[in-house]
Amino acid sequence: MQRSDRRSVFWSPAGRIVPLIVICLIWQAVSAAKLVDPSFLPSPVRVGYAMYDLLAGREIRDNLLVTLARAAIGLVLGSAAGIWLGLMMARSERFRAYAAPIVGGTYSLPKSALIPLLILWFGIGTATTVCAVFLACLLPMVVNTSQGVASTPRVLVWGAEALGTRPREMLLRVFLPHALPDIFTGLRVALGFSFVLAISSEMIAATNGIGKLIFMYGENGAYDYMFAAIGCVVVVAFLADRLLLVLTGKCLRWHESTVSQVAS
Amino acid sequence: MENTANKRALQIRSVISVLTIVVLWEAVARAGLASPLFLPAFTTVLAEWWTVCADGSLPSDLLTSLFRAFAGLFAATVVGVLLGIAMARSRLVHWMFDPVIALAFPSPKIAFLPIFILWFGIYSISKILLVAFACVFPIVIGTYAAASAVNRVWIWSAYSLGTSNLALLFRVVLPAAWPRIFAALRVALPVSLVTTFTAEMVGGGGGMGATLMYSQRFFESPTVFAYILTMLVVGLVLDAMMLKIQQAFPAWHGNV
Repeated sequence: MQRSDRRSVFWSPAGRIVPLIVICLIWQAVSAAKLVDPSFLPSPVRVGYAMYDLLAGREIRDNLLVTLARAAIGLVLGSAAGIWLGLMMARSERFRAYAAPIVGGTYSLPKSALIPLLILWFGIGTATTVCAVFLACLLPMVVNTSQGVASTPRVLVWGAEALGTRPREMLLRVFLPHALPDIFTGLRVALGFSFVLAISSEMIAATNGIGKLIFMYGENGAYDYMFAAIGCVVVVAFLADRLLLVLTGKCLRWHESTVSQVAS
Repeated sequence: MENTANKRALQIRSVISVLTIVVLWEAVARAGLASPLFLPAFTTVLAEWWTVCADGSLPSDLLTSLFRAFAGLFAATVVGVLLGIAMARSRLVHWMFDPVIALAFPSPKIAFLPIFILWFGIYSISKILLVAFACVFPIVIGTYAAASAVNRVWIWSAYSLGTSNLALLFRVVLPAAWPRIFAALRVALPVSLVTTFTAEMVGGGGGMGATLMYSQRFFESPTVFAYILTMLVVGLVLDAMMLKIQQAFPAWHGNV
């Protein structure tokens, strides 16, 4: 990435924050110059105060934790089921024949469209949100896992067999490790979906959670708080994504793709 | 020979699998195992689908939603492709926008809906802009990757033959990067549909999502199912169309 020392200053973590600061300064200037109605665009300073106020209180922490818990439960259940289904699809021709049209058919369905149905079935609350997140996380995991397992080179299978790996060990020792990079790719997509689904289902129907909170601030006209809460969501989603990338790097240290990924 | 027989067997199983679900659904609903409020029979849903199609409400909702999705996708494509190429060609632009994209790409865009509603109202404009906002990031990232991977030799050759910067964009960079840009568009298309439907469900203002939520509030379950099935079919058809276009690219694009 770095071509010279002069350039590397720009690409250091501190240098990379500069554009974000510039945007905030422009935003502040626009607010200060009253180019737009300040009630529609609260200045960064006011949003900062609101964020400080929010972080000091319990409201945002409690609601954010509720949302994160819902997203996490749905994500874990969805990816576990997705990995299992993906394995089955890749290993059993017959299972794939029956499951493939269902997976292909529902893949393009916006999962949030199922929220009204889930509300009908489970009412308003945690079950609906978790279920929506589960369904959204399931499909990318199924598709990626089955792709990763199905692409296992014959040589690896033959090698393991020649070295005396029993058929039931093959799954854990050959197929799953080979599919691990694809599984992590699926997990990254699923992680993004889990946030989107948790927040949109809370915006549609919930009594608590960060999605509900953002909407409530909007309806009450507390726009600086609304911006601050959205900012919190952005930061949390960013951190979760980075955390998963770090985890991926750790788990795939042995894999050749990691070498180039770490470099970039 | 065996291959075609195999393919036929696969197709038959696919049909069986889908038919089984439909028959099971119908049987469970008809046997009264689930209240028709929770699970209306498949035939009831089909009848309802025909009714809402015949009275024009479903087609007009669908047109509204598709218009919002495509308008947003179009705006995102224009901005995203230009920005992606600019980022690939200029290090300053890359340095300026990379942190913003890194921060915004993993964020759930639907959380920004209240801001868009605040600024642009609850009707089409706020939805189109939110869709554009949601779609622009995968397009920028895809275009940036595609434009960075354009063979340097082609660019140097074009320059040495006297090509201007603007002509370089249209005659070398865009044609060479186009297949991968299109792959990014194929990713962005479902995002545009999902965002449109979800934004309509959350914010109202007409369209498929708004009617879906409205029917749910009045416990008109057959309408809910009819709308969900329509969304499923629309997603399938659009993705199949994108795949067809992608496959129609000339063969030499395959190894770019």
